[in-house]
Amino acid sequence: MSSEPLLRVENLKTQFFTEAGTVRAVDGLSFEVREGEIVGLVGESGAGKSVASMSIMGLVEAPGEIVAGEITYKGETIFGLEEGPDGELRKRDDALSDEEIRTRIRGNEIAVIFQDPMESLNPVFTVGGQLREFIELNRGLGEDEAKAAAIDMLREVGIPDPEERYEEYPHQFSGGMRQRVLIAMALACEPSLIIADEPTTALDVTVEGQILDLVDDLQAKYGTSFIWVTHDLGVVAEICDRVNVMYLGEIVEQAPVDELFYDTKHPYTNALLDSIPRPDRTVTELEAIEGVMPEAITPPSGCRFHPRCPDAREVCKRVHPEAKVVDDAGGEPHRAACVQHDAFDVGYDESPPLEGVAGGVSTVRDEGSGDSGADSELAANPTGDDSGGGSRE
Amino acid sequence: MKLLKYTIYRLLQAIPVLIGISVITFLLANLGPGDPVSLMLQGQEHSEELVRTIERRYGLDRPLHERYLTYMGGLLQGDFGQSIHHQRPVADLMINRVGPTLLLVLSAYAFALATAIPLGIIAANRRNEPTDHVSRIAALVGVSTPSFWIGIVLILIFAVTLGWLPSSGLIYPWRPPSAYRGIDGHLELYYESVRHLLLPMIALGTLQMATIMRVERTQMIESLQGEYVKLARAYGVPERTILRKHAFNVAQLPIITIVGLNLSTAIGGAVLVETVFNINGMGRLFVNAISTNDYQLVMGITMMLGFLFVIGVIITDISYAYVDPRVTYGERE
Repeated sequence: MSSEPLLRVENLKTQFFTEAGTVRAVDGLSFEVREGEIVGLVGESGAGKSVASMSIMGLVEAPGEIVAGEITYKGETIFGLEEGPDGELRKRDDALSDEEIRTRIRGNEIAVIFQDPMESLNPVFTVGGQLREFIELNRGLGEDEAKAAAIDMLREVGIPDPEERYEEYPHQFSGGMRQRVLIAMALACEPSLIIADEPTTALDVTVEGQILDLVDDLQAKYGTSFIWVTHDLGVVAEICDRVNVMYLGEIVEQAPVDELFYDTKHPYTNALLDSIPRPDRTVTELEAIEGVMPEAITPPSGCRFHPRCPDAREVCKRVHPEAKVVDDAGGEPHRAACVQHDAFDVGYDESPPLEGVAGGVSTVRDEGSGDSGADSELAANPTGDDSGGGSRE
Repeated sequence: MKLLKYTIYRLLQAIPVLIGISVITFLLANLGPGDPVSLMLQGQEHSEELVRTIERRYGLDRPLHERYLTYMGGLLQGDFGQSIHHQRPVADLMINRVGPTLLLVLSAYAFALATAIPLGIIAANRRNEPTDHVSRIAALVGVSTPSFWIGIVLILIFAVTLGWLPSSGLIYPWRPPSAYRGIDGHLELYYESVRHLLLPMIALGTLQMATIMRVERTQMIESLQGEYVKLARAYGVPERTILRKHAFNVAQLPIITIVGLNLSTAIGGAVLVETVFNINGMGRLFVNAISTNDYQLVMGITMMLGFLFVIGVIITDISYAYVDPRVTYGERE
């Protein structure tokens, strides 16, 4: 923890107010990104990874809203809430306005690469035109300079004949080439941070490998920091410096990449690792994680992973763990949100194992429907963490 | 030039379509009930010999396929035959009538596009707000009301009750001002021609406007949810530019299709609107030709309308190819 990190996200909560109830897509997320590092944001579909990255950009769309938290970028508060005199939450005075975020942050400071390269480019404008527009806007260059910069960047990301390709339309590009264009777009705006939201998920594996190599090279060359959103731990191992594992809107484990893989501290991360093929282990069968992730609308009481957790005990139903430092990896903290660890003194060892959790499925169904009265009783939270809070009704 | 090649290609494709139209029209006109000769004689006393003479004179005694070929030969030279009722060449009759109909249809489309596109965008931008609901109801009413009824109501309100606008006829801006009594100079001519055009234009354009507005709204909503709009937002593009450029351009593609396909309903509607507003266009000529069994004229007008429709569709296709880079030009490489 040396100097001020590039980006710091603290206790971020983003909720969607739907007819079915409040969806706590991101629920108390804290992490940071330092200069020149690639930080992974990992989790299953629905864990809140994309909502988290959109929240950083200030691009959460209705009915979604950031209801708590603070986001600091280069020492400036880009998002912050405070309680007004009437008790209503309002934007803090020192936080940037929407207009300031648009003109000063989006594109020129924080750029994005989206998941679907086939849909992300506008079909009726040329690839070059779209690149040029964003460069003009974010670097304040004139038309000709922006065009030259665009062509240079296309060459940089490995697009052959960039002068000719500049004039072509997105449909004339393959998926991998379009993703290269999107990477060029992000880098050409010369941001300090790029949020890559599952940028290789839509690509086939060989192209994915090429893109990861490309990003690795360019990251080393330009020193840009990345938030790499993915569900693929293989990608994480290849590219990330530090990793945040998310489950149901929360970070369950946070560690440098090697630590995470070789000294895993959370059963969910373990389960994720068991579900992917690994060269260092020979197994006859891959183990899928039992059950499905519950809805973020009615998260399970206590530890949110307990209905699917092989190590769950009685106490896990009651205690909601916040990620705490459980180990130290050469000066880097290793955080995990699991009461197994000594840092949580809630009596895990004495607690009896949960019935029927090994099967997992039936318990998940109960939690998913979220109707039983017993559940709400158990939700009484001894850690004092107000997991039901943040709702503004 | 790819686009030029494509244009020529589409024009060539239109030839079989036009031949098809001519065959069907010719058959329908000749096999339908009613006999042109007895129509010409209008119930006068006549000998068998007279009938034969007339039939020979008009070539009606020859077999159908020969008559078709003769007719087509004439068409290629711009000869649409002789109107029985008017005793004048069909081409002469039509040439004066195309102008008003084109003026009416084109201005109706101009009106529809100029109103529907902004309204559709506003409705999309204020989705599920009162503005959107009002526009939805207005569109529903517009689609379900026949143009002649709108025409009559417009006449009642703006011509009869308020007396602001004329209720019948058109003033043609391409004629010299001296052709009209009481009109001095070109400025007044244009002014009067707009005044006369206003009500029939709205009567004919309302249906198109309602349809286009709904499509525009749907397309804009879809386009605004596109990933490319999300990307533009993430790169700090102002919301106004997104609406006017990034979302707008993609959303217009289906509008072009709608305009092209609705050309037939617009031409059909023109027939009714011309009748209501007493406009001497193709539509009224057509109605009269049918009611007097003037089969040469019916055939000529059908061919002409078919030709206009085909041209309209071709223009649609070409503009689509021009706007959407993804349209291939039918080349097999």
